[in-house]
Amino acid sequence: MWRVALRGLASHKLRLALTALAVVLGVGFVAGTFVLTDTINSTFTDLFRQTTRGIDVAVRTKATFTSASNEQRAPMPAGVLDRITAIPGVAAAEGTVSGYAQLVGSDGKPVTTGGAPTLGISLSTVPRLQSATLRQGRLPAGPDEVAVDAYTAKKHDFHVGDRVQILFQGAPGEFTITGIIGFGSADNLAGATLAGFDPATAARVLDREGRYDEIDLVAADGVSESVARQRVATALGGDYEVITGRQLAESNSKLFGQFITFLDYALLAFAFVALLVGSFIIVNTFSIILAQRARELALLRCVGASRRQVLGMVLGEAGVVGLVASVAGLGVGVLIAFGLRAAFGVVGFSLPGTSLVIQTRTVVVALAVGLLVTLLAALPPGLRASRVPPVAALQQQAVYAAPQRRRWRVLAGTLLAAAGLTVLLLGVFTAVGNRWVDLAAGALAILLGVGLLSALVARPLAGVLGWPFAHWAGQAGRLARDNAARAPRRTASTAAALMIGLALVGFASIFAASLRASVTQILDQAVAADYILSGPAGGAQGFSPQVAARLAQQPEIASVAGVRIGLFKVDGLTGQLFGVDPAALAQTVITQTTAGDLNEISAGGVAVREDIATAHGWQVGDRITMEFPIGGAQSEVLRAIYKDNQVNGGYLLGLADYTRYYPNQADSIALVKARPGVSADASRAAVDRVVADFPSVQVKDQAEYKQGQASQINQVLVLFYLLVALAVVIAFIGIVNTLALSVLERVRELGLLRALGMTRAQMRSMIRWEAVIIAVLGAALGLVLGIFFGWTMVRSLHDRGVTQFSVPVTTLVVFVVIAALAGVLAAVFPGRRAARIDMLRAITTE
Amino acid sequence: MTEATAGPALSTVDGDGTPAARTVGVTRIYGSGDAEVRALDGVSVEFARGQFAAVMGPSGSGKSTLMHCLAGLDRVTSGEVWIGDVELGALSERRLTLLRRSEVGFIFQSYNLLPTLTAAENITLPLDIAGRKPDQTWYDRVIDAVGLRSRLHHRPAELSGGQQQRVAGARALIARPTVIFADEPTGNLDSRSGAEILDFMRRSVDEFGQTIVMVTHDPNAAAYADRVLFLADGRVVDEMRKPSAGKVLDYMKQLGV
Repeated sequence: MWRVALRGLASHKLRLALTALAVVLGVGFVAGTFVLTDTINSTFTDLFRQTTRGIDVAVRTKATFTSASNEQRAPMPAGVLDRITAIPGVAAAEGTVSGYAQLVGSDGKPVTTGGAPTLGISLSTVPRLQSATLRQGRLPAGPDEVAVDAYTAKKHDFHVGDRVQILFQGAPGEFTITGIIGFGSADNLAGATLAGFDPATAARVLDREGRYDEIDLVAADGVSESVARQRVATALGGDYEVITGRQLAESNSKLFGQFITFLDYALLAFAFVALLVGSFIIVNTFSIILAQRARELALLRCVGASRRQVLGMVLGEAGVVGLVASVAGLGVGVLIAFGLRAAFGVVGFSLPGTSLVIQTRTVVVALAVGLLVTLLAALPPGLRASRVPPVAALQQQAVYAAPQRRRWRVLAGTLLAAAGLTVLLLGVFTAVGNRWVDLAAGALAILLGVGLLSALVARPLAGVLGWPFAHWAGQAGRLARDNAARAPRRTASTAAALMIGLALVGFASIFAASLRASVTQILDQAVAADYILSGPAGGAQGFSPQVAARLAQQPEIASVAGVRIGLFKVDGLTGQLFGVDPAALAQTVITQTTAGDLNEISAGGVAVREDIATAHGWQVGDRITMEFPIGGAQSEVLRAIYKDNQVNGGYLLGLADYTRYYPNQADSIALVKARPGVSADASRAAVDRVVADFPSVQVKDQAEYKQGQASQINQVLVLFYLLVALAVVIAFIGIVNTLALSVLERVRELGLLRALGMTRAQMRSMIRWEAVIIAVLGAALGLVLGIFFGWTMVRSLHDRGVTQFSVPVTTLVVFVVIAALAGVLAAVFPGRRAARIDMLRAITTE
Repeated sequence: MTEATAGPALSTVDGDGTPAARTVGVTRIYGSGDAEVRALDGVSVEFARGQFAAVMGPSGSGKSTLMHCLAGLDRVTSGEVWIGDVELGALSERRLTLLRRSEVGFIFQSYNLLPTLTAAENITLPLDIAGRKPDQTWYDRVIDAVGLRSRLHHRPAELSGGQQQRVAGARALIARPTVIFADEPTGNLDSRSGAEILDFMRRSVDEFGQTIVMVTHDPNAAAYADRVLFLADGRVVDEMRKPSAGKVLDYMKQLGV
């Protein structure tokens, strides 16, 4: 049996290679994800081990609020250091601080990173605790001295002795570079830019006087890490987190390595799309190849092969294809990881050159995934093939009428689609469970269900879509339409690959368009401000409240509202609040209160959005227990309830309270309203004048802000477009495959047409139109699903402010046209094959 | 008795004017070296207009190759093939296709209808490919001649073998080609259906003046023709006019087939 299986493989080399390509890509993305994650994790662990190697124990406050990529810790009072130093067994202890510090390049522009923080740190004076290694010059020791990381120095041409301007949350300052620092063999810390100061200067510029972010200590000789940790923990009580140096390294590497989580998701999404789309193609290729070999299989059955043996042979072939493809995919994965790591270097993540980490788990998972997908996809056609009656071998024409298991297909398809729809709608309209999981699972089930059912509608649909070709492309067009409609299952599963791609892109572009429209509407309705100021890294890092204060003094400016963002806990859940001055906010943001008076929060207390208040059953005057970074649990009076306007967020806290509860007093956003009657030019000039001293602050007027929001949305869209490109490429392979096999199958028919006078050009155009019909069929089905998915997504985000449903018709039409062009291109090779058919072989009886 | 004469180029022009199709010293060689097969070896024949000719011979005699070369489906190794007053050897692939489209009709042993098209669509297929409209009067006459009016909207799978072959016959006739080639048209049919299609071909010649060249094994089929050519080993070995099944069978026995 094995020999037959191998011969079967050998006779369809190209076909199977094309089929395997989808598996190769899918497995490649899976393996690439693992390799990259493992490599970066091990790199970071090494890096932070090295930088913390002298630290025996570290002390910091507990992280009160942890979000996906951020830990918020309050600094501790300086007195803690004295208590630690007094503990027996502590040889040396030193407090360190860190915070926002952004270097300004010689071109006057702030040095930015690809998302990594711009850090200012205190450099240790205790030799054993020094994490940085001096590359050049000496360590800074004075109020106007700084050390810069080697990567930034190299990239921006900073040298020892240069003067450099540095931005802080407070007033910016000018410093002399006394040293260039590195971290072991790495030039920087995971892409962050670093400005190192002596401890006193760091405390001053980073606003940490009398406080420390972390205290590191060295244990006395003969005292082990764990003993020292235990002693410190006992001495300090439960208020602080006391960890060993090793734990600190792990914690740091985890925090810094978090940026790759997004990349992981992206890569896994690629893997998923490739494998999903690819499996349709595998099903199809195996179905067609087996149908063509029906007589051969029947012959095997005649000479005594059991059904099980035939199935085994088919699965054996699939196994070989899957295995070869998976091994190739593993190689592709390593290449992907290698390429991405190289790309990190380009965007500024200086990673020490460790070799790629390929764990056994990576190999096992990659091979298993590839093999399993291929085998599963080959199973239905294999089962069908095993049902070929032995008598088929004796019949003149290979009448391969496999029992049309339509009922099963209808049932399974309908059930899947219905279940998917239910889950999806549950996700949209109820808040039970994780709605994103509901939406994704529902969408997947619907895709598969529709994929199954589409075989039933492929015939009529191909008839409709083929109408223009049948009427304007002559006989070739008519035959193309008929051919597309004659094997609906084949047409459907070929089109399914494109369907998935177009569903994705339809979904993404509708979602993005709706998001854009909604953002624009919100800004128009709720924002009265003329200018919106935001800090570096897209507002993730704040800027000095000085900006707002000085703007407010300008004669051209009527009002400025600085907005500070803080995390807190209510009922054990972490939430986000805005710290604002209500009077200034009222001038720049239109807020409708339904109860109470928003202005009262200036004296203390909170205001809450209507839907949240309703959900908790809160009334104005109630006391809400909220937990803050400083001061812990506090009882806050609910002063006002306001309607959702998409700007204010869920909770507003008066500035007086905010100052008390939060260590970080930087504004994330400032909203600026010009004085009435002042020209746009004049008010802009006033804003620019003030901001000139704070180069990290970005100023946008309303139009620019809208534009900025839109371009952020577009960046996410790019990922989806890449996914679609991948799906289209695989779908393209599928169309080539199906058509080439169909041509092979219809040799007699095509030969007859040639004999009857069809020219080669007509032949090619017949195949071309068939491909286009298949492609457009997939695109149309995909778009319908995509629009539906887009609608559910938008609908489910309705309470988050996505109120507009917008369908970007032009974009969608462009995608259908692209799909059709892919069809045209896919038909080139099979069309050429068809045109070259040997008429004699086609029409002479065997 | 037969007017058997040995050697090539003995056929004469019957009917009037130029022959519908003819070959001059056609040789067709497949393969090379040891595997060389001389399927046709200097064949010169002429097929007069408005005549029904049958080509007979044992398997491997070259009769199918002769037909393929005459129909422009296969290229000759040397010699000339003429359809009407056009020599096929000089034609480009495209010109040859266009000539086949308008001047040649086919009836095959296994019908060769397109399964996706209805009977009517199959019949007009050659015209559709050429982008021409069928002449309604002619179309009606052809349909009536094959007696398929009630089955026009059925697909081939819903027709019997005889009906399918009559559709193929109508398809061959619809473009009024210079010559129709029929390759074992009764090979897959029972005797009654076979008689029907032969009768149809006979009437096409008699009533419409169509020229038909038919390759066959069957003496009964050959008896419908005006003239029978006998091939053996790639050469025309003999010819018989006004054949009957008995005379053909006798001659075949004599040839030792």
